[in-house]
Amino acid sequence: MIDALLQPLQSEFMLKAIGVSALIGLTCAALSCFVTLKGWSLMGDALSHAVVPGVAIAYAAKLPFALGAFASGMLAAGVMGFVKDRTRLREDAVIGIVFTTFFALGVLLISLYPSNINLKTIVFGNILGIADADIVQVLIISAVTLAVLAFKWKDLVIFLFDPSHARAVGLPTRFLHALLLTLLAATAVASLQAVGACLVVAMLVTPGATAYLLTDRFGAMMLIAMTVGTLTAAVGAYASYFLNGSTGGCIVVLQTGVFAVTLAVAPKHGLITAHRSRVVAGRAAPALSGGAA
Amino acid sequence: MASSLRTNPANTPPPPPSPAIDVRGVTVAYTNGHVALRDATFSLDGGTICGLVGVNGSGKSTLFKAIMGFVKPAAGSVRINGQPVGAAHKKASVAYVPQSEDVDWAFPVSVWDVVLMGRYGAMNLLRIPRQSDKRLAAEALEQVGVADLRSRQIGELSGGQRKRVFLARALAQQAKIILLDEPFTGVDVQTEEAIIALLDRMRDQGCTMLVSTHNLGSVPRFCDRVVIINRTVVAAGPTATTFTRDNLALAFGGALRRLRVDHTDVPGATSHELTVLTDDEGALILGDDGLPPPRTTPDRPAPTAPPGAGA
Ligand SMILES: Nc1ncnc2c1ncn2[C@@H]1O[C@H](COP(=O)(O)OP(=O)(O)O)[C@@H](O)[C@H]1O
Ligand SMILES: [Mg+2]
Repeated sequence: MIDALLQPLQSEFMLKAIGVSALIGLTCAALSCFVTLKGWSLMGDALSHAVVPGVAIAYAAKLPFALGAFASGMLAAGVMGFVKDRTRLREDAVIGIVFTTFFALGVLLISLYPSNINLKTIVFGNILGIADADIVQVLIISAVTLAVLAFKWKDLVIFLFDPSHARAVGLPTRFLHALLLTLLAATAVASLQAVGACLVVAMLVTPGATAYLLTDRFGAMMLIAMTVGTLTAAVGAYASYFLNGSTGGCIVVLQTGVFAVTLAVAPKHGLITAHRSRVVAGRAAPALSGGAA
Repeated sequence: MASSLRTNPANTPPPPPSPAIDVRGVTVAYTNGHVALRDATFSLDGGTICGLVGVNGSGKSTLFKAIMGFVKPAAGSVRINGQPVGAAHKKASVAYVPQSEDVDWAFPVSVWDVVLMGRYGAMNLLRIPRQSDKRLAAEALEQVGVADLRSRQIGELSGGQRKRVFLARALAQQAKIILLDEPFTGVDVQTEEAIIALLDRMRDQGCTMLVSTHNLGSVPRFCDRVVIINRTVVAAGPTATTFTRDNLALAFGGALRRLRVDHTDVPGATSHELTVLTDDEGALILGDDGLPPPRTTPDRPAPTAPPGAGA
């Protein structure tokens, strides 16, 4: 029994898959706190789809996939910003149009010029088949993203909470905005391999949302999100070995499970607490009027 | 004239100090094409409390955004202490107290976190607060009377307490210029009195404050000057000569509730006619000359409750 449970840990490729998943889970989770508070879930989804044409071109040109993906993601973000600032369209409409266009272009490119990536890998991820060169890229992106967050998280929090005040104390708000967008694109690129374009957004939102239910302090929110993100990604990758199923699917289902339980039982912001306080308030009201009568 | 002075340096008087806020011909258009401000001009010297009044949508918040450098004027310029806005904000010389609707009250920060944010401009790159930063933040909390709430999440405060916290952040920033967007909206009378008392003290320390408000009644009590706007500056100047029935009528048109009270209805009234103007909040009562009552500060009768108590 124990042997069977330890078996995946004896194969090198499973160890790699679990380790890389955990790292991606950690990076996404750190960023997810900013994404949920800024209301950028749709933006995260958009960027993770918009990187696809870049990946296709990079593979065809034999360039590092992360380079192409990142360029493509930033280009999409630039186009969205450009269109939004110049039309009366709402932001979500602009995002919706731009990212689907990029994604469609990517799908088209891959189908026209088949290379050693296939569509399924990009859309659904394939962490078990990740190449060593790709692991290096994921390592670099994660390390840089985590380092930047470690240095700049306080500035980013002020920028999220109150951009006017950020400006009033001399913080470069335009730069911080661009920085957050860049980190988001970079993280979307890194997670592509693990869970695929479709599910990246889950890793970029769910851990932060879970942590937000559990605390009222940003620092604690980061720690909780990163713990949840890392553990669910590692356990999800491990479980997918036994289920012989999609790693991305496993990770995201696990994260959602943790979120659902938290939503129910969170001590202060959970559904059960909310229900209880409603019931208590309901009981108190008639008692008061009865006392007055 | 200027050149003749320059050739004679011995007699040169010291140059007049630049105004704290100088708004000149500012036009702001939003991306949807809406022109929220057109050719707005006024300036404020140091040590002044200036009221900013106008109907909803008249461009008060837009004016603040232009001063904060958040919207770029399509025409005109804003200068702070004689400098362009960008340079002034790098030195953290303007503090901003946002209107309540602009704040995400569910954000995971405590009262203490928010007040410490006032010190960020002075902190090192990692934003680790020094002892002096903590001391200034603690003093600011004491001054506005919410020191006991420092570990509360900001959403768990009353309207008055919320305003006090953001005021404390502005105090902690130690800026000489403070912009307050509707600080009296949704607060109780006691908090309003406490805020006014605090603004008075800051003015005496040489601060310049621009305060947007719908509380027309209290403007003559605490504002040295007023700027009346309606998508442009309708009038700007000392309260006594600017905050008049005629100017307000220009800016508010039919948007003000205007009650005329015959003096025979008011025992002891000597004027022939009283005009009561109310926007959203506190009413303004003008005599038959259409001029505001004279300022009562600094010897304003003390509020019945001790200032700063509760909220
Ligand atoms: N971001 C924006 N985009 C387009 N129009 C805006 C924007 N912000 C404000 N406005 C418009 O500009 C006008 C002035 O708004 P604002 O400065 O907020 O007024 P006030 O603070 O005096 O109520 C309003 O008509 C408002 O609808
Ligand atoms: Mg406003």
